[in-house]
Amino acid sequence: MLEVAAPEQLPVDQARAGQPAAWEALFRRYQLPLYVYVFELVRDEQAGLDIVQETFIAAVRHLGGLREDAKFGSWLFGIAHQKCVQRWRKRRETLVEEIPETPDAFEDSPGDLLIRREQETEFMNQLAQLPPAQRSVLLLHFVEDFSLEAISRITEAPLGTVKSRLHYAKKSLRKLLEATK
Amino acid sequence: MKTPRKILLARHQAAGPKLDAIRREVLADWCCEASQEPNRAAALAATLLAFPTQLWLELIRPCRRIWTGLASVWVLLFLINFSQRDNVSSVTGKPVVSGEVMMSFQTQQRWMNELLADRAIPTEADQKRNFSTKPRSEITGTAAV
Repeated sequence: MLEVAAPEQLPVDQARAGQPAAWEALFRRYQLPLYVYVFELVRDEQAGLDIVQETFIAAVRHLGGLREDAKFGSWLFGIAHQKCVQRWRKRRETLVEEIPETPDAFEDSPGDLLIRREQETEFMNQLAQLPPAQRSVLLLHFVEDFSLEAISRITEAPLGTVKSRLHYAKKSLRKLLEATK
Repeated sequence: MKTPRKILLARHQAAGPKLDAIRREVLADWCCEASQEPNRAAALAATLLAFPTQLWLELIRPCRRIWTGLASVWVLLFLINFSQRDNVSSVTGKPVVSGEVMMSFQTQQRWMNELLADRAIPTEADQKRNFSTKPRSEITGTAAV
């Protein structure tokens, strides 16, 4: 099982100083969650691997631009998100879809949603069918348990939009899981 | 029962070896680039230091007799120019004026000032004549004379 280190334990400062071991630890920590996020957005294995590689290269080159070490994770996912957006633009696809904003915040923990073994395939299928913008927000919430503010920064979407996307995405997932009980 | 995170990570666990390879490749490239940075600086310094030697070997040494002849001509021209140099200031390019000449010039200047000072007093010829506004025919006194 993958162990998730607390953000303050990440050796970002050492990586900034150019220590290869620090980069090794950072990339090892984030490579799988990052790939999961990218793959579930682009739905293509090779493109997913390419984007992860490009994200790592960009991170090595531009770590000097990161001001708060604790935000390394969201910064890295932000780079990957931008790469996905660039790919969509090349393919003339769009990430943005208009959904009505919901006034009530939906901020429960991703652990609250538990899925039975027989529901796993349905869960993955339902996730793949969500609009990309909702899928992006939901994946960031599930995979790294990012805060709404962090998701807003990563996706460069307003906080209200992030809240509503997460609300509608979870609502549709819950409906599915209720139906398959 | 599993959380969505566990399901998602488990589904993509098979990509682990490929991700490991990508990580190693990126870090190897980065280490290679980082190690090449000092080498580039050293190469630049070596090129700069080697430039005079290269200049000597490729430009001057093969034609050293020609360069020696040219240098001799330049030295000769410099000596001739130096020996024929008159009293011309190298800074202003104007002739250097000695103290005696300056004294003579000042004396002449003083004489000139004295002469001009004498001219400043109006002479009799320069004084203003009596002038009448009357017509010539009405000036009887002078006409009778």
